[in-house]
Amino acid sequence: MISVNPGSELKEKVTSSIFIGAATISSLLLLAMLLFLLRESWPIWSQVGITGFLGGAVWRPVITPPQVGIMPMLVSTLWVAGGALLIAAPMGFGCAIFLAEFAPVPLAALLRPVLNMLTGIPSVVYGFLGAAVLVKFFEVKFDLGSGESLFAASLILAVMVLPFIVVNSETALRSIAPEYRYAGIALGVSRQYLVLGILLPLARKGMLGALALAFGRAMGETMAVLMLAGNTLKLPVSWFAKGEPLPALIALELGSATPGSTHYQALFAAGLVLVLMVIAINLGINLLLHRLQKGVNSV
Amino acid sequence: MKQRAVTDGLLMGFFWLAGLFILVVLLAIIAYLIWRGGPFVDSAFIMGSPAGLPLGSEGGIFPAIKGTLWLVLLALVLSILPGLLTAAYLSEYGRGGRLADIINLLVQSMAGVPSIVTGLFVYALAVVSLGWGISLLAGGLALAIMIFPVIVVSTREALLAVDENYRLAADSLGVSRFYTLYRIILPRAAAGIMAGVLLALGYAAGATAPIMVTAAAIIASSSGALLEPVMALPYHLYILFNEHISMNQAYATALVLVILLLLINILALSLHSLQERINSR
Repeated sequence: MISVNPGSELKEKVTSSIFIGAATISSLLLLAMLLFLLRESWPIWSQVGITGFLGGAVWRPVITPPQVGIMPMLVSTLWVAGGALLIAAPMGFGCAIFLAEFAPVPLAALLRPVLNMLTGIPSVVYGFLGAAVLVKFFEVKFDLGSGESLFAASLILAVMVLPFIVVNSETALRSIAPEYRYAGIALGVSRQYLVLGILLPLARKGMLGALALAFGRAMGETMAVLMLAGNTLKLPVSWFAKGEPLPALIALELGSATPGSTHYQALFAAGLVLVLMVIAINLGINLLLHRLQKGVNSV
Repeated sequence: MKQRAVTDGLLMGFFWLAGLFILVVLLAIIAYLIWRGGPFVDSAFIMGSPAGLPLGSEGGIFPAIKGTLWLVLLALVLSILPGLLTAAYLSEYGRGGRLADIINLLVQSMAGVPSIVTGLFVYALAVVSLGWGISLLAGGLALAIMIFPVIVVSTREALLAVDENYRLAADSLGVSRFYTLYRIILPRAAAGIMAGVLLALGYAAGATAPIMVTAAAIIASSSGALLEPVMALPYHLYILFNEHISMNQAYATALVLVILLLLINILALSLHSLQERINSR
């Protein structure tokens, strides 16, 4: 660049390196975090081993010798999150299609802020309402001693991830080139057929991405599962059994684990497993979407 | 043909149902909280301290409100400068470059990190290793790490939305990048950036898991001392319910928290649409 003032070139270099430095350092925080979790949990990986830790069915970290297996919690995590998606996906896709294709403009203008506000309600409030209303309802309706279950947690998580599925799926539907729509309309198919037969297959990858992001979110959610899933360390045998997903395990036991003990290290190992699963999903989706369309960046 | 019409009608019904469902959910949540919690929210509840036996079954939530404000303020102070600098780098200095690609990916992955894991990290680093203990400072740090990617992404989007012609004109006049950013781009993106910061703020105010392991206490004065534990609204709600202290107080606390967050959200949304009007001018 031609510079009018020779001193300004140096100044430009300095300011630009401040920006680069700040950006690099703050982004490296993620790697620092992962390394730190790995360091704190290292004795678990070297002594219990990956298969022993992930596949172990017994979590009794404070007896001697301690037993640390997180399989029940791992299964609970996947079950709760998968169940939430099962419930949220049809609703989320339906709502995204409604917003992208059928909603009258004023209604769509009303619903979009509503989606934002739903994401603004904190998870502890969802958890609280779920526990105070839904769980009570199950207890009265089905005459249960306690109504907490993986299913109750899935139901509330479904409501929590719904806005994310809707927003990302709608973006995917809207990013389809208009020519396809014109072609469909010119062929005289109904608008419903146009959506299901033409637009949905084209938006498939984007909508899959929306689901995967929602899955990651549901896996990492703490408060709702803590208040709803029932918190037992047993391997869940059905959707209606109780369980304790990994975030709940960490939240409940961290305060009582003596730093440096096997218990403490095992909780960090559990955290590392959780975060690596979520990051793997995000990176996978990123690759998938990047190949589809460079620059799509769903938040 | 007739079958097609029936299928089409059913599909249309489902799409409408799905669309209206989210509206119903939001209205139901707000209405239910007002119904159950409204009668217990008054000035004594907002301005008072927890009282009664067990503690919290009567009285107010003022220390929890104060604690939440301290936590959010601290999180903002710690994250805003790194957030803005990173976003500015991504949109103004490194755009399209290899390093910017990597940083974008890291920030996006950071946004996906479960908040309890952030709490776990800060617990080991600050509470245990650095010896801060369960404290306002540790909680502020955890929340700052949690909202950093939110601030980066929203600021980056706001900066990128500024008309490219301003940059081209400034470049062709030989104006420095920093001056262009500071005097031309930033003022035009200010409303959008503010909207993003507000959303991040609301996100921090509602987060429970990270402060539960780093900062929150069941009862504290929340004086603002950095190395003391604090009370916080979301954690207070959790305790009121979980320890069976008082359902009425829990509903009232949830109502206050939700109203606070919805107000922040609405403000952010209006700033966002203001920004869209500025961009389309």
